[in-house]
Amino acid sequence: MGMARRVSVALWLLGASAAVYATGDRTFERQVPAQPRGVVDISNVAGSIEVSGWDRQEVSVRGELGAGIERVDVTSEGGRTTIKVVLPQISGRHGEADLHVQIPKDSELDVSAVSADIRVSGVLGVQRLNAVSGDVTSELAGSDVDAKTVSGAVRLKGHGQGARLHVSSVSGDVHLEHGGGDFEASTVSGTLVVSLDSARSIRARSTSGDQRFEAKLARGAMVDATSVSGELNVRASAEGGYAYEVSTFSGDIRDCFDAKPERTDKYAPGRILQGTRGEGAGHVRLKTMSGDVQLCDRN
Amino acid sequence: MTQPPDAEGRKVSSLRELPQAIEPARDLWPHIEARLSQIRAGATAANARAPLPASQRAARRGWLAAAAMVACVAVGVWIGRSLLPGAVYGSADGAASTTGASALDAVYVSDPRYARQRAALLRSLPAHLAALPPPARAKVTASLAALRKAKYDLESELGKDPGNALLQELLVNTYQDEMRVLTDVRDASDAGRGI
Repeated sequence: MGMARRVSVALWLLGASAAVYATGDRTFERQVPAQPRGVVDISNVAGSIEVSGWDRQEVSVRGELGAGIERVDVTSEGGRTTIKVVLPQISGRHGEADLHVQIPKDSELDVSAVSADIRVSGVLGVQRLNAVSGDVTSELAGSDVDAKTVSGAVRLKGHGQGARLHVSSVSGDVHLEHGGGDFEASTVSGTLVVSLDSARSIRARSTSGDQRFEAKLARGAMVDATSVSGELNVRASAEGGYAYEVSTFSGDIRDCFDAKPERTDKYAPGRILQGTRGEGAGHVRLKTMSGDVQLCDRN
Repeated sequence: MTQPPDAEGRKVSSLRELPQAIEPARDLWPHIEARLSQIRAGATAANARAPLPASQRAARRGWLAAAAMVACVAVGVWIGRSLLPGAVYGSADGAASTTGASALDAVYVSDPRYARQRAALLRSLPAHLAALPPPARAKVTASLAALRKAKYDLESELGKDPGNALLQELLVNTYQDEMRVLTDVRDASDAGRGI
């Protein structure tokens, strides 16, 4: 091989390694033993976090690490497995990491992200999912779920199993399909779109965000939804019926059972609609300042 | 009808027969003046306890209702603050400014401890917002603006109808929500540094 050819090969290798370094993408894989009902903590700033439950008693982590990621720490001790994407101490940018994590299906899951999206499936234990601007998506499996975002959307999907579901977001939209049990949600400007197959209680609050509920209420269930300027649209049927009280300061009240709202005061604004459907076993209370309210007892 | 006899037992048949003036045996004025002074002093003291006219009673009830409303809202805010320690009121644009605070705001933040926490968090709010990813920052700023508008609207209506329980409840909710948002923003920016 001539000198010129050797030099060109060396330059090519140098260029190739420089390109790899520039993109910074590399993969990461690690497996650690875990208890079947242990706790798994995962934190990642940016990118994505995908978690799924499996039957093995180990936690498997696979990741694609972008530029700016220093390393991924995975530790398992005393029933707690911790997975942490570590950025350099002096980092002017947030590196992205895409994590794929498999955990024992009965684990308790604790996930924290900034702009990383969180997706969870097949996990039967309690889930606490927190993101700032990342979206949170999870399958419900009958255990409690606590999802919290600042601006990210929350999407939960269940099969009607009873659980305590607590969702809070500043501006993110909240979607719940086929939930059950006790649902509590609050948002400022996000929209709530919720369907519950068997609800014991619904408590929801928004400032300007609209709320839409379709629910089958258990006997004696309680619904309490308030908004300042958002619209409330509740379609709720209930075993045993419910007593309802709908009040608004300046919004409109509509219903599908021909009840007529009354003025709360002869001289001041304000309307109220109250009465009973069926036996009146449950309670539905809806309140707004200027948002319109619609109540129907048929799904 | 019989006529009363005069002092000497004579009957009076006409008003003209009566004397134009009868001088008392002694000067009665000092005694009368003393009594009048006593009565005047007693009346001044009794005025505070005397029943008010209907219009004044209605006005007093209105003020009492307004005071009760403010007290209820303040208690609600205090409860919310207790549940969410360290939360504060902040401006929608993220600026640490208290100039826009209304008179009602001043009532809500009258607790010195709360006022201190509020001031500290208002100072750090721009930094907390700056630590958020840009899309989140824009959305949170919009949400803070929505909260501020909600508070303004509710307070304006409550100014016209201070006893409205629905508006009071929604205002307390809004204050609590605002505290929650500011706490979440602070926690979110701390999380960004901590991860």
